[in-house]
This record gives sequence, structure tokens and C-alpha cells, in this order.
Amino acid sequence: MKEFLLTIDRRIIFIFVALGVIIPSLATVRLPIPITEDVKAIYDTIEEVSAKNGTILISFDYGPGSMPEVQPMALAVLRHCFRKNVKVIGMSHWPTAVGLAQEAFDIASKEFGAQYGEDYTYLGYKPGGGSLVINMGRNFHDAFQKDLQGSNTTELPITKNINGLANFDYVICLAAGNTPDGIWIPFGQERYKFKFGLGCTAVMAPDQYPYLQSGQMNGMMGGLAGAAEYETLIETSGKAIAGMGAQSFVHLIIIAFIILGNVMYFLYGRQKGGAQ
Amino acid sequence: MLFLRRTLPLIIAFVVGMIGILVFYIPHSGAQSLEQELATWDRIVAAFALVLGIYSLMRLHWSRVRRQQAAWGYSFLVFVGFVITTLFAIYNDGIGPFEPQVLNSGPFDWMYKYVQVPADATMFSILAFFIASAAYRTFRARTPEAAILLISAIIVMIGRVPIGASIYQGLPEIAQWMMDVPNLAAKRGILLGVSLGIVATSLRIIFGVERSYLGGGEE
Repeated sequence: MKEFLLTIDRRIIFIFVALGVIIPSLATVRLPIPITEDVKAIYDTIEEVSAKNGTILISFDYGPGSMPEVQPMALAVLRHCFRKNVKVIGMSHWPTAVGLAQEAFDIASKEFGAQYGEDYTYLGYKPGGGSLVINMGRNFHDAFQKDLQGSNTTELPITKNINGLANFDYVICLAAGNTPDGIWIPFGQERYKFKFGLGCTAVMAPDQYPYLQSGQMNGMMGGLAGAAEYETLIETSGKAIAGMGAQSFVHLIIIAFIILGNVMYFLYGRQKGGAQ
Repeated sequence: MLFLRRTLPLIIAFVVGMIGILVFYIPHSGAQSLEQELATWDRIVAAFALVLGIYSLMRLHWSRVRRQQAAWGYSFLVFVGFVITTLFAIYNDGIGPFEPQVLNSGPFDWMYKYVQVPADATMFSILAFFIASAAYRTFRARTPEAAILLISAIIVMIGRVPIGASIYQGLPEIAQWMMDVPNLAAKRGILLGVSLGIVATSLRIIFGVERSYLGGGEE
């Protein structure tokens, strides 16, 4: 037994993790979700933009690998915007985001009857990163001459009055990589002084706190928990709230294994150099 | 040839680098227009870099297939995936490559939705299993520093998910404080160090001290 607990086979751990995901998902475990100030700040800013019939830019910078965490944020923000008549322009620094962003626009626009060209448009992917943001800052129509459907941005009602990034009431980056701190803040927010919010994977979130404290970022949704908070704020239960039960139980399982590993290490493992 | 291989790239790096730095600090409209022009050129160069990247990837995998190295079948699959995806993109659901890419129908969209999305999401989700196993095996309080890290990690892990508040109301606040104060201090220190390193490396490249990007090693 002692040997077993010192060197638990990884397949046993895998089974526990799988059960930790499957059982709460099937049992639809619902837990109260506390709202953090960082997520509430994004919600409040969109409410403010709504009050002045404004336009926001969402940069979809993620891919299928991070879809489970970031796509619920995209859907929640789009639902909030369309419900409050906030106009949304989408774009991507990642080519793999195009299909996911378009899917999010299709789902949310159908639910709220948002009209393409009037209430939203999606510009698609363009390479360039920081250079693209510099171009967008001063000449938006030059940087994106057409949207993904081939319409001229100088003619579309939603984009024709946008000259540069400063014309946006809010910019939100939904990211799974370095686009917020590597592209949007140094080349965009610092120069054109727009309000900037972030939705990112949980693993990225700790790196973003310096920008939150400096005010370069006014709010942040971190990981699936951040998306669940946003879904709670807009009172729409989506995949993020549904996933909170599974995520909570898997975290507990991992912590239980860490504690077990340490207890066994202190009881017996130190003499043997620790469980391997 | 030495001029083309070494001197000219060094001159271009110096001139473009210096202009890039100077226009940032000059608010004159002429300087801003120049910056816009440079940014446009950068995007054009980036597009060509994509072509070079594809060429490099194909050459690497072709060499593996040709030599029949271990797991060369996966390299062959790179070609299969690349050719099929490219053909589907050109076909563009029957309307050709010069029209906007068709979404929500056609084989290109099918490949994205039913091959790339599930495959990529599966790869990422497997991480949860490996993290659990690795945490059990390696996360040991062997030293006081490791013990602090361990306790912090447990508080943040449990405090960031809804069950944390159900266990103890104060846990989310403690987790938030840890992110806002010690985490922020450490991250800012790292960020400043990395940024100064980037500045130093950039200056070395601009002034021709760092030449490894030219390839071929020191001459």
C-alpha cells in the first residue's frame, strides 16, 4: 500500500481527472459564481458604450486549442453588445481564429437579430501584428479595405465613420498568446489612448496584472472562470457556467493528489529520495 | 558578394532601425506618415516571411520523408494536410480563389470545423491529465521556497474557481490579493528585465554588433 501511494500509476490519476470532468458535467453541478472587479469593469464599460450608442472593436486572437476557454467569452461579450445595441467590429491577428469568430458572430447575431453591416462586421485575419495596429491607428480604411465578406469598409454603415483606433469606444482583445501585451498595448493603447479590455486563457492571466494596475487595461476575464463571471453578469447560462462544476472538481482532485504526494513524501519518500 | 551578404543588410538594419526609433518620438505629420509607410512595408515583408516559413517547413519534412527517419509517416501527413487544405482554399466552394473565402459551407470550412478544431482542442485538453499527473509527482515541499510556492498554488487554484468561495468565503479574496500584490510585483520585475534585454538586443542589431541574423556564423 505504501509503495502504491508513493508511486501511483498515472493512469489511475487520469481516471480520477476524467471522472472529475464527466460526473459534474452530467450532473449539471451549479455553484454560486462570485464576480471579480476585473470582469465587472469590462461589463460596466460596455454598458457605458451602450449609453452613447458606441462602437467597439473585438480582436479574436486565439485558436481551436484555446477555444473551450475563450470562445465562451466571445459569445458572452457579443450577446451583451447585441442586447444593448452596441455596434461590434471584429478582426483577428491569428488566422486560426477566423472560423471561430465568424461562428460566434453568427450565433449571437441570430439570437438578437443584429444586422450585418449595420450592427456588426467581421474583418477577418491580416498579418503584421504591431504594424497592422499602427496602420489601423491612423488609417483604419487603409489597413482593412474590405471585410471578410468582401464589402468595402468605406461604404459599410458600421465602418465608414471609423477613421482610426481612437474612434472606437472600447477595444477588447480575446487572446491565447502575446497579442495583448506584445501588440495591442505597445502599438495601440499607448499611442491612441483607447479603453482596452482583455479576455485571455487562465495561464496568461497572471502576466497581465502589471497592465491592469497601470490602467493600460481596464478589465480582464481570465480563463473559463472569467467567462463564467461574464455569463453570470449578463444572466445567460452558457458553456462557461456549465464548465465551472467540472473545473472546480478537477482542481480539487489535483490538490488532493498534491497533498497526498507530499504526505507520502514526508512520511516515507525522503528516505528513498521521493516518489518518482 | 560580401557587400550583398553582409554590408547591405547591416546598412538596411541600421537605417530602418534608426528611423523606426526616431519617428516614435517625432510628432510631426511627416514623421507619422513615414511611420505608416514603414508599417505597411513591414506587413508586406511579413507576408513574404510566411512564404519562407512554408518553404522551410516543407523542406524539413521532405528531408524526413526522403531519409525515412523515425515517424516519417507524420511528415508525409504534413504534405497531405497542406495540399488538401490549399486545394480546398483555392476551390473555395466552387467560386475560386479570387472571391472572399466562403464560410459555413464547402470542404475548406468542413476541414476547419471537423478536423482542425477537434484535433487542436483534443491536444490542448489532454494537458489537464498530464498536469494532474505531473503535479502529483513533482510538486514537493522539499525546501521552504518550494513550500511557499506549493501553498500559494493551492490557494490560487482553489480560490479562482467557484467551489473556493463555497469552502471558505475569504478564499477568493486571498487568491485575488496574491495575484494583485506578490504576483504583480514579480511579474513587473520580470517584465522590466525582459524589456531592458529587448532594448539592448535591438540596439546591438541596429548598430551591427549582433549579426547572427545574417546567418553563417562569425566571419
